[in-house]
Amino acid sequence: MTELAENPLVEGLELRRRPDPCAMVIFGASGDLAQRKLIPALYALAVRRLLPEHFGVVGVARSEESNEEYVSRMCEAVREHARDEFRQDVWDGLAAGMRYVGADVSGPGGTDPIVAALDELDARRGTAGNRLYYLAIPPSGIAGVVEAMGACRTNTGWTRLVIEKPFGHDLASARELNTMIEQHFAEQEVFRIDHYLGKETVQNMLALRFANGIFEPIWNRQFVDHVQITVAETLGIQNRAAFYEHAGAIRDIFQNHLLQLVALTAMEPPIDFTADSVRNEKVKVLRGLRTPGPREVVRGQYGPGFVEGVEVPGYREEPGVASDSITETFVAAKLSIDNWRWADTPFYVRAGKRLARRETTIAIQFKRAPHPLFGAQGAEGLRPNVLLIHVQPDEGISLAIGAKVPGQGMTIRSVHMDFLYGGAFRTGLPEAYERLILDALLGDATLFTRIDEVEEQWSLVDSIVSAWVRDRPGFPNYAAGAWGPPQADDLVHRDGRSWRRH
Amino acid sequence: MEWVGTDVTVSEVEQRLARLRMEAEAGGTAQRTSVATHIAWVPEQWLPAALEVLRGLAERHPSRTIVLVPEPDASPAAIDAELELSLFPLGEDGRSICTETVLLRLRGARAHAPASIVTPLLVSDLPVFCRWRGEPPFGLSEFEQLLDVVDRLVVDSEEWEDLPFAYKKLAGSLDRAAISDIAWQRLMPWRMALARLWPGIAEASTVRVAGPKADALLLAAWLRTRLRRDDLLLEHDAAAALELVSVDRQPVVPIELDPLTPSDLLSNELDRFGRDAIYEQALKSF
Repeated sequence: MTELAENPLVEGLELRRRPDPCAMVIFGASGDLAQRKLIPALYALAVRRLLPEHFGVVGVARSEESNEEYVSRMCEAVREHARDEFRQDVWDGLAAGMRYVGADVSGPGGTDPIVAALDELDARRGTAGNRLYYLAIPPSGIAGVVEAMGACRTNTGWTRLVIEKPFGHDLASARELNTMIEQHFAEQEVFRIDHYLGKETVQNMLALRFANGIFEPIWNRQFVDHVQITVAETLGIQNRAAFYEHAGAIRDIFQNHLLQLVALTAMEPPIDFTADSVRNEKVKVLRGLRTPGPREVVRGQYGPGFVEGVEVPGYREEPGVASDSITETFVAAKLSIDNWRWADTPFYVRAGKRLARRETTIAIQFKRAPHPLFGAQGAEGLRPNVLLIHVQPDEGISLAIGAKVPGQGMTIRSVHMDFLYGGAFRTGLPEAYERLILDALLGDATLFTRIDEVEEQWSLVDSIVSAWVRDRPGFPNYAAGAWGPPQADDLVHRDGRSWRRH
Repeated sequence: MEWVGTDVTVSEVEQRLARLRMEAEAGGTAQRTSVATHIAWVPEQWLPAALEVLRGLAERHPSRTIVLVPEPDASPAAIDAELELSLFPLGEDGRSICTETVLLRLRGARAHAPASIVTPLLVSDLPVFCRWRGEPPFGLSEFEQLLDVVDRLVVDSEEWEDLPFAYKKLAGSLDRAAISDIAWQRLMPWRMALARLWPGIAEASTVRVAGPKADALLLAAWLRTRLRRDDLLLEHDAAAALELVSVDRQPVVPIELDPLTPSDLLSNELDRFGRDAIYEQALKSF
């Protein structure tokens, strides 16, 4: 018999890497995020057998609740929000490792019941001392939990910390928060979530750019006229007035989601697809972003109007919002990236609430054909080529190209070639949180933001906001259901361009 | 939307398909996003099962499916066609995608030259899969011609009688198309379980399989080639489905995977584009 050094039978088997045994501790376990996203995402992972064999969940919140009550509430949440059909056997498997702890960690001995629950999971479910702390709590609570859990670290197993956005509210506070975290956790143990990075279409941006030979050669100032990125919501602030009044659109969307989309669109090809290679390239883009002048940033706040046919109140009439609030619900900017690839190619970005339609898109508008062959009349219906990446809804990509209108004359108009995710791959798209939780369990930080990215993002936001302190805007300046204030249109019209309408 | 015609030409089928699609698009909402052309060679006795599988498949693989039903003994020689265009809604905005199913009955001599019939109907520049029901007539023109048209041949050797000799013939086709065997896919939970027995399994002397002959032969061929153990004995007890695998009298517990329907099994094969080197190695050992 020939000696075989490694197991020859595993080759060709579909063995996906399974995370190590571990316990996930969710702080803010009674909150909206846990119920709508985290627990349903865990359930989806359980359905697909992607969770570790030895796994447990400890839900931590301040409210007093029995284990049974908590589990049954989470079961309801799964029935309501999960994308898969409810399967009792899968749920039972997950629920058997679920513990609820009503505790205030900042108080003396506050972590004792959590530690006890974790020890019990280690002993009974074999979670091996590995811990994933998921902080689904408001920013004000983060420091307390990090310090408390940092203080009870042991030498057994690994520990990882997942932190929801926002990470700080400006550069100084982000640095302060990070300094505090660094005392207990190393950078590679910290997973800062920007859930946009977990979306399939956002990852597809990397596939589109770096798996296709035809796009990269034209992905630069020589062929691209400009880029437009839109993160538009039709919703108002719902029940988030307390948070939103302090954050505004610039901290809620611009600082994280929008700048991440800019970075992914503009980044250079990384040398490989490892966490640090990808993030090194992203941070270079963020560093290359020039601080926009006051004329290059527009802010807005919605007044009353109509959204999808329904009359809605203005921002200042929303419950919990000051009647003279100057919080912006819309921000648009012309960004410039100072590098060889993008010099003089503007990135127009906008994000806002109560806009005309819900969409997140990245539009790469290419330069016009250099020589107008078909005369002004024939090409009236021809627009420049646009590569449109739909992040949501209707995930997909479309390319606008000019085509001849059938008939005797030579009339050209724009038509769309569409690739819809739903049309080509009829498997349901995973929720962003499924991917991100699984990656955190596996210790893969590629789709999480590193501290230097966060710092670059805040430093840009700080410089924009510092200019705002000096003037009082005339809010509200756009009606709910519009595409933002007229000044946003002026921002692009000045350059002889216009926003995409749909 | 449907169209049925008897004694039709291939170009008539093409035109009718185009017309059906235009009608669908007249609603302003249909979209054709094909990922493959899927040919199914389905002798009459397999037809009900094949149509059942296709029903479970259409939505997952928006493809043009061409079902060829050979009726070589029928006369006169002719092609009868049934076309069907199905729309599946996409998202909330009323758009939908369409899949096309073309069922062609190849009567008389038409059954001997299927490649010339399907070639005009292939969607340009997309991969072509062929699910061959039953044991292919190796060496005969209908099979050999079609093999040159397709990128991947999908068979289920549990449907075959002439084992293990048919494997040898199938291995002879490997340089002309990629080959998938659904019987091989069914072995996955057992292979995963057997892989866990490493390194002890390297010393095993006998593997016993209670199940279809195809499963037993493939599993033994896999173990022999991977472990480089030509002397590994196979004991086979016939059964309708794979019930038991034991190594030196120790039963193996298969890894628990989600149960797969016949549509899932075919769907998985249609998602594969590369070659399975491990399967090919086992196949070549017969």
